[in-house]
Amino acid sequence: MLGRGVKRKWSCLEELEVEMVPAAVTEEKEQRGEVEHFVAPSRSEMNHLQQRQRVLGLCLEKLQRYQVGMELSLRRSVLLINTLRQIQEDMQSDGAGAGSPDAPLHGVHPDSRLLREDTREDGPVTCPGCEEGDRDDLPLSPPLSPEFSSQEANTSMDQQKPPPASTISAVSDAVNAMGYLSDLTLDDIFEDIDTSMYETSDLPPVWSTSSLWPVSVSLWADEDQKVRSPGHGSPGSLNELDHIMEILVKC
Amino acid sequence: MLGRMEAAARMWHVGMTSSLHIRVLTLIVDAICPPPRRAALCDRAVGLCVQPELLNEAMAGVAGGNDFQWCFSQVKGAIDEDVAEADIISTVEFNYSGELLATGDKGGRVVIFQHEQESKNRPHLRGEYNVYSTFQSHEPEFDYLKSLEIEEKINKIRWLPQQNAAHFLLSTNDKTIKLWKISERDKRAEGYNLKDEDGRLRDPFRISSLRVPVLMPMDLMVEASPRRIFANAHTYHINSISVNSDHETYLSADDLRINLWHLEITDRSFNIVDIKPANMEELTEVITAAECHPNQCNVFVYSSSKGTIRLCDMRAAALCDRHSKFFEEPEDPSSRSFFSEIISSISDVKFSHSGRYMMTRDYLSVKVWDLNMENRPVETYQVHEYLRSKLCSLYENDCIFDKFECCWNGSDSAIMTGSYNNFFRMFDRNTRRDITLEASRESSKPRATLKPRKVSTGGKRKKDEISVDSLDFNKKILHTAWHPKDNVIAVAATNNLYIFQDKIN
Repeated sequence: MLGRGVKRKWSCLEELEVEMVPAAVTEEKEQRGEVEHFVAPSRSEMNHLQQRQRVLGLCLEKLQRYQVGMELSLRRSVLLINTLRQIQEDMQSDGAGAGSPDAPLHGVHPDSRLLREDTREDGPVTCPGCEEGDRDDLPLSPPLSPEFSSQEANTSMDQQKPPPASTISAVSDAVNAMGYLSDLTLDDIFEDIDTSMYETSDLPPVWSTSSLWPVSVSLWADEDQKVRSPGHGSPGSLNELDHIMEILVKC
Repeated sequence: MLGRMEAAARMWHVGMTSSLHIRVLTLIVDAICPPPRRAALCDRAVGLCVQPELLNEAMAGVAGGNDFQWCFSQVKGAIDEDVAEADIISTVEFNYSGELLATGDKGGRVVIFQHEQESKNRPHLRGEYNVYSTFQSHEPEFDYLKSLEIEEKINKIRWLPQQNAAHFLLSTNDKTIKLWKISERDKRAEGYNLKDEDGRLRDPFRISSLRVPVLMPMDLMVEASPRRIFANAHTYHINSISVNSDHETYLSADDLRINLWHLEITDRSFNIVDIKPANMEELTEVITAAECHPNQCNVFVYSSSKGTIRLCDMRAAALCDRHSKFFEEPEDPSSRSFFSEIISSISDVKFSHSGRYMMTRDYLSVKVWDLNMENRPVETYQVHEYLRSKLCSLYENDCIFDKFECCWNGSDSAIMTGSYNNFFRMFDRNTRRDITLEASRESSKPRATLKPRKVSTGGKRKKDEISVDSLDFNKKILHTAWHPKDNVIAVAATNNLYIFQDKIN
């Protein structure tokens, strides 16, 4: 449930990154392959593609730091995601309908588990002074709520749709998957609790895709309460709530 | 000398544009003439062929901006190579009179320096700034609900105009703003009835006579006490605070919202700007800075991560989501890259003292805007254009996200901003001349004149120039401040505060 959702997202994005690079390279090669019949790509085009690739890699790396638990400032997250979108559009305009084969991006098993204590290395060292205007401090805390909500969003996409066809969608998945420092939910409190022992497989699939608590609670002003859309499973949420209470009470 | 000037003046006739006229004349006047003789020689130039109005313009610029040289005055802070993170200065601000200079650091401390009067025996020296008060403004906090640490780093300090003997300032970290009162105590009451001089309580029954306590002078003590705490109003990180010209209200801005406070009321504030989308995944732009207009208490501006500035009038509506003016420079399509948006993100916005202009700082340039013209800035100054070809590396090491501040001088004739390698740049708006100076221990001899620095961009590196690849990107000057009246500047270089003054001849 909770644990499952979190862990799946981890591996998903990791595989995403790993496969994106070769997939993108494949895409490029195919493009070039096709184009070679007519006109060789210019040097500046190749530089452009190289740079785009590099920037894409860096972008994902930086956003991943966010996943690891390092807090990125909202400004930086927004700028990174906008850059990612720009690359996505660039790729789209490049290979519009390039017909690349389905990249096996979501070779994710619902039962795949990554250890929470994933010792992912930090990204490239930033110059110490760069920390000044930013929040990239080493985490004292478990990952943030948006990660969780984004994981939910992604897992729901996994379950409800077939894997997207190309790297372009993968990028957009990454973009959509990256939540922002959004409203607080009570789920966050339970994030760092490893519940794998207690997970049962007979729970409804919608379980993992929706927030357990329909209404988020915020320390701040009322306006920040975000009510989850009904489509996220609130018809059954009351039962789910009861179920959880049962489990908790039993222990 | 006169011969050279004549020759240059004769060039005048060769169809030069008026801007070239000014430049040539400035070169002649500045480079050749020592100040006392300039007037005489310029009169001669007038006699030769120069149009008087151009001459006046050039002379005004020369006299105002570059007639003096900057020299080192003081440096504050430790000299160690190992810089403690908590000592990194995060904000610098002079008060309205320039008598006090406040700095905030990453450790949540505020240090205030006071200008000592010039000593009578050495009148050619301006007075120095010495420590006046030090206090811990903010402590690290832990948000238990979100499992996040709230940094104690002071993001901004803003002084209130002085109304009585005490000084007031606002200091803020990511979440909480505090109003501090800094007051002096130089008298102490002595001769209490109920306690003796050691402070021990006296037995009331033993007291046989009453006396009136007397105020006795004591060593000056400067006390800082928090008078108001404005908390729990920002979900996102506060990036700006700005005191309004009514001296009763102030605004605070975070990534998505701006709140208006009354200085006396801490339990509520008005939300005047809210750019948070209903669905956070649609978020593409954040607020990066905000400031109140210096004269019109109903006007404020805020800048965004997309390089736009919105001017709002609080009289128009309670929620100023609809701007009154929208400032944006159209993008140059030829310079578009993956980094275009990031480098267009505005890191600071400052109104001129006159209130007619505002200045914005993005990653590579400083722009001056006329509030009456929205479609482009009236002046653009390149701070370190040589970095444009290095944007990918700067993106890799995160330097591209650095937020530089900028400031005006008291008369709005010059602007200053920081760069890397402990360089900072000053631009004279009249003469269009600029200078690059360095804040370093090497050039820190008392009253030593600062030598202009230059970054070599081409292949050939001249002597004394530094190449782009040798720049130290760890040494960045993000915070600078200019005295409101005099030519005194404060430059924060990591954990050191440099104070420079002009040389009085």
